[in-house]
Amino acid sequence: MSAHIPILAIAVPLLGGFAVPLLAKLHKGLRDAWALLVVLFVGACVGYVAVHVFTQGLWVYVLGARHPQETLAPGGFPIRIMLVVDGMSAFMGVIAGLLALVAFPFALRFLPEEEGKSLALTLGLLLLAGILGMAYTGDLFNFFVFLEVTSIAACALIGFRTWTSRAPEAAFKTMLLYSLSGLLFLLAVAFLYGEYGALNLAYLARELRGTFVDRLALGLFLAALLMKAAAAPVHFWAPDAYGEVPAAKALLLVVNTQVSLYGLWRVLFTLYGGLWDAGVGWLVVALGLLTMVVAAFMALVQTDLGRLVAYGAVSQIGYMMLGVGVGLVSLAGRPEYGLVALKGGVFHMLNDALTVGLLFLCVGAVEWTKGTRDLRELGGLGHGLPEVALCFLLAGLALAGLPPLNGFASKILIYQGSFRLSPILTAVAVLASILLLAVFARAFQGAFLGPKAEVPNRVPGVFLLSMAVLAVGLLVLGLVPGFFLEGVVTPAAEALWRGRALYLAAVLGG
Amino acid sequence: MKETLTLTTGQGFWSALIWAAAALATLLLAGLLWWRGRREYKRGTEQELPFLSGERAENPGVGALHLYWGLTEALRPVLERLRSWHSGVINDYAGWFVVILGIVLLLVLV
Repeated sequence: MSAHIPILAIAVPLLGGFAVPLLAKLHKGLRDAWALLVVLFVGACVGYVAVHVFTQGLWVYVLGARHPQETLAPGGFPIRIMLVVDGMSAFMGVIAGLLALVAFPFALRFLPEEEGKSLALTLGLLLLAGILGMAYTGDLFNFFVFLEVTSIAACALIGFRTWTSRAPEAAFKTMLLYSLSGLLFLLAVAFLYGEYGALNLAYLARELRGTFVDRLALGLFLAALLMKAAAAPVHFWAPDAYGEVPAAKALLLVVNTQVSLYGLWRVLFTLYGGLWDAGVGWLVVALGLLTMVVAAFMALVQTDLGRLVAYGAVSQIGYMMLGVGVGLVSLAGRPEYGLVALKGGVFHMLNDALTVGLLFLCVGAVEWTKGTRDLRELGGLGHGLPEVALCFLLAGLALAGLPPLNGFASKILIYQGSFRLSPILTAVAVLASILLLAVFARAFQGAFLGPKAEVPNRVPGVFLLSMAVLAVGLLVLGLVPGFFLEGVVTPAAEALWRGRALYLAAVLGG
Repeated sequence: MKETLTLTTGQGFWSALIWAAAALATLLLAGLLWWRGRREYKRGTEQELPFLSGERAENPGVGALHLYWGLTEALRPVLERLRSWHSGVINDYAGWFVVILGIVLLLVLV
């Protein structure tokens, strides 16, 4: 049984999601219990996989073989579908599992029955399955399939509130851009398949020679994944999407964006190795800086709390890109500062998931109690909702990178790593953080401070529990960062930095 | 234990506990100064009202949109340009995608 856990982590939410509307026909409580059970199971699976990978190394799982470790078909060719979970994949799986465990209990209470709760839960589980599929697969075509699964589920969730005008519009824009992104990704896969006759990532990584077609495919991969990861200037869909999706499901959308970034790292570090020149790394760095600054400026002028947090979330993508981009630029010489920045970028993925997740839950709680997210109508909620105010304050300060919270721990690594490459990079990143501090001070003041406001609805206990889990998480990550850096982040960063040979050897032998 | 609490950055280290100790010491110092301060202040009296040119303000609350007015006014040209990029028109967004695709292809092919 335990040998099949990687595939169960994907298959159970995929099939379990479709069972949700059927169970809802029998009893609503049964449906809710089932959804929770599926998410708990997925959480246990990704935890098990992570512990296994971090302690024993890479985990390869082959479908359709007599034995799950039989990677090569007769003839020595890796033709079967396979999952290859290294440190980075396991890390991504942990982020997805953690946010799902927090988001689903919140969603069960947050989503009104009359607004199609069953379908929202189904879409959430499908999105989770797609994210884990993207993280664990070792096959480019399957990566595309899961990319499409996430795109369809995410777009349906964004346009979920069909009775509003903005949600379907946001879903339409996102769907169009996701389709463009998906088409380019598929085209790149087709180019590589045409040239090498294979779809297996490790096999292609071994065979790539840097030909014109290889580089053309790399360009298409880059453009497609940068767009899906919401890097500026192709981030425009993200604030609309994050702002319109039901708050509880915004957490999964954050992971969906991160897993696209994961795909980008997988293509650049594992598939192409060093087959690109430093210009590609510099492009990632430049777009990272642009993303953090543009999003921070745009957050400064938002009046909708949801959109403000959405821009804050987009700006954090920039920090991840800066950290990993510095790692990419310095990959050829592998200086120590490159690994430090890379660790910072990877660590920031976990911190961003917790921090932005908590902010979206706070936005959901505010919307639940007041029925609006408009900062012009909000104010004084801190008197009636002190727990939500505290969580929002903590998350806002963490997002701005203030010590001793988790955002600072990862940003200090990014700052110090990027400083060695160029102090200008660090200066811009610090400037964006200062802007974000201003943004969240303004949002906190607007929503929670001021004369006491009426709070028509109490915040349910499960909301507070979900928020408390994330708040404690970001405090612990900030206070004992070394523990997580060594135990979880370093294996993930090392999988990108030096793990390519191990990845190839695990699949192809030798 | 030390490795658990400390983050080594390659050029130095960061320890949240040392920071917390320093923050506590600063708070204690601030508390000491406050304790030695003037004692005429009384809660719930007119002393708590904001002083607005000697006028009694009916609604003295400062709204969220009033914050950073100077900063946003100074940055207005930049912010207006950024707003115009976020036009909400899908054709513009697809256009930006084509621009990025062009830049990326130029970078990897040339």
